[in-house]
Amino acid sequence: MTAPSLVLRTTLEQATPALRAASARLWGPPGLTRRYVAYLGAMHGVLRASVPLMELAAQHAGPGPLGGYLRRHILEERGHDGWILADLAAAGVTPDLTAAPPPAVARLVGPQYYWILHHDPVALLGYIAVLEGNAPAPGLAPRIVARTGLPPGAVRTVRDHAALDVAHADEVLALLDALPPTAAQLHTIVLSALSTVGALGDLYRYLSDREDNHG
Amino acid sequence: MAESRYTLDELEAYGLDVRRLPVEQQDVLRALTPAELALLVEIRSRLDEVTPDVQAHSEIAGAALF
Repeated sequence: MTAPSLVLRTTLEQATPALRAASARLWGPPGLTRRYVAYLGAMHGVLRASVPLMELAAQHAGPGPLGGYLRRHILEERGHDGWILADLAAAGVTPDLTAAPPPAVARLVGPQYYWILHHDPVALLGYIAVLEGNAPAPGLAPRIVARTGLPPGAVRTVRDHAALDVAHADEVLALLDALPPTAAQLHTIVLSALSTVGALGDLYRYLSDREDNHG
Repeated sequence: MAESRYTLDELEAYGLDVRRLPVEQQDVLRALTPAELALLVEIRSRLDEVTPDVQAHSEIAGAALF
């Protein structure tokens, strides 16, 4: 039997080069400072859903390896949305937390609630695999500091996720092989992962276009 | 291995770069379900449309956070 991680990895490898190109557009000049601040605001909307999504999925997964993994990972990810607020503060920005997040954020996160509540919590593994597997590169944080003049304290989230998420991506792929999912569950994971790639690309495009249009 | 649904020629016609892959990975892509392949092709098309001329330099690529 083909390892489930190989199925997911091989499928995603056909889509992620284009996703990486979309993210590279995000980090180009001009307007990087404005775009980075907008990126942090949007990503706060994404990260504040990470722990609640895992809590919901763990509740629906019950005991067993999936629930165990999620409960462990909750401890590792808790509070990271606060890191973004601290980054914004270091950049001199006070976000309006009462403002509605961009629809592109809801389109990225929202499907996971559907799949967890109405289908199978295992879907969340596809979402996690894509987000942890496409983390910022290690060189990004120093580049942002060098090109924007922002203080190093404004890039903690990007810097630390570049360091942490390689191991986290490996961990979720190892869990896939350890479960292992049924064929139907693996199909759900693949659809969830591909859906995440598409929505993430749309979010990058939203942020790039929006800031490009500011001139 | 799941049953093959597509030939390599068919996958190439959908724009997938399959010839350079090891046989094991080719088999994975040949066994994609129609729903998986349709979603993959649609996403690639959408992303390529947005960034036709942007190269993903490895030192800056990546922006996802969880």
